[in-house]
Amino acid sequence: MVFNTGATLLDAIVLAVVSKEPEGTYGYKITQDVRQVIELSESTLYPVLRRLQKDECLEVYDLECGGRNRRYYRVTARGWAQLSLYKSEWQSYSEKITGLFEGRIEK
Amino acid sequence: MNREEFLMRLEGMLQSISPTEKEEVLQYYRDYFEDAGPENEQSVIEALGNPADIAENIKKDLQGDDGSRATASDHAVMEYGSPEACERDNYNGSPKAGERGNYYDSRTSHADTGYREPVPAEKRMPGWAIVLLTLLIVFASPVLIGLLGVLFGLLVTWFALIFSFGVTAVALFAVLFVLIIVGAMCVTLDPLVGLALAGGGLICGGIGLLFLMLTVAMAGILTPGIFSGLGWLFGRRKKGKTV
Repeated sequence: MVFNTGATLLDAIVLAVVSKEPEGTYGYKITQDVRQVIELSESTLYPVLRRLQKDECLEVYDLECGGRNRRYYRVTARGWAQLSLYKSEWQSYSEKITGLFEGRIEK
Repeated sequence: MNREEFLMRLEGMLQSISPTEKEEVLQYYRDYFEDAGPENEQSVIEALGNPADIAENIKKDLQGDDGSRATASDHAVMEYGSPEACERDNYNGSPKAGERGNYYDSRTSHADTGYREPVPAEKRMPGWAIVLLTLLIVFASPVLIGLLGVLFGLLVTWFALIFSFGVTAVALFAVLFVLIIVGAMCVTLDPLVGLALAGGGLICGGIGLLFLMLTVAMAGILTPGIFSGLGWLFGRRKKGKTV
């Protein structure tokens, strides 16, 4: 992949990945899911999750799993609003770039 | 390097951040190893890379908490402007989530607590206090004027009483003298009538003496007492205002 994934796009991707699991999902799975889409160092995700949590786009809860507590992440109402903003922004952004590449946009 | 060593190195590198924040990081990576499974331990350690770099990224992110990124995303939510955007989710978050919330609050306000607490307390108070006081004075003015009138009336009554008691005393003394003189003149004509008149005069004189004492007491002792009492009351109230 030649394109860099900026911090905002990474936020959007993580929100989208977590939003696929209405009951919430956990750090390792989020990392694997994100890595199916973009190349990403495995250690990149903790700060992103923490920041989204701090911005109240994600909330955490602990659920017992195999004798230990596993931390789950779930998208909040604010997170859903943020995600739909990202989606519509991405829509217009990618359409413009695609349009330019495919010659649909005239000068 | 095994998993425990990795976590210990990471913990060592995170000494400068708060214990709560550090525990969050360690819990995340402990979870991460558990979920990857023991068979993947080595590959996870390789993929995660140097604990020092991880710690560095986390610390950088913590420092940038109030920086442009956080505000940019807040701003984006604001711009979006839908009602849900500002709505806090109603899920019953886990207790840990609550703790974190408090923790962030205390952390962000910690730096300027020293200033924040005393300054607004002093600066804000007069603002609404003045408005309230003004309203109070405007609305209570009829009552206040009435109270002043009553006070004035009481004072006038007080001095009128002193004056009338004094006059009564003087009049009674006058009666005393007149009766004694008349009595003395009558003694030669009719001793009984003369003595009775003189006795009546003495009684009047006694009552007059009582009135005189009352007048002196009211004018000389009670009045200064009342005024100093009032002065003390107002002085105290003034002090209360300025402090």
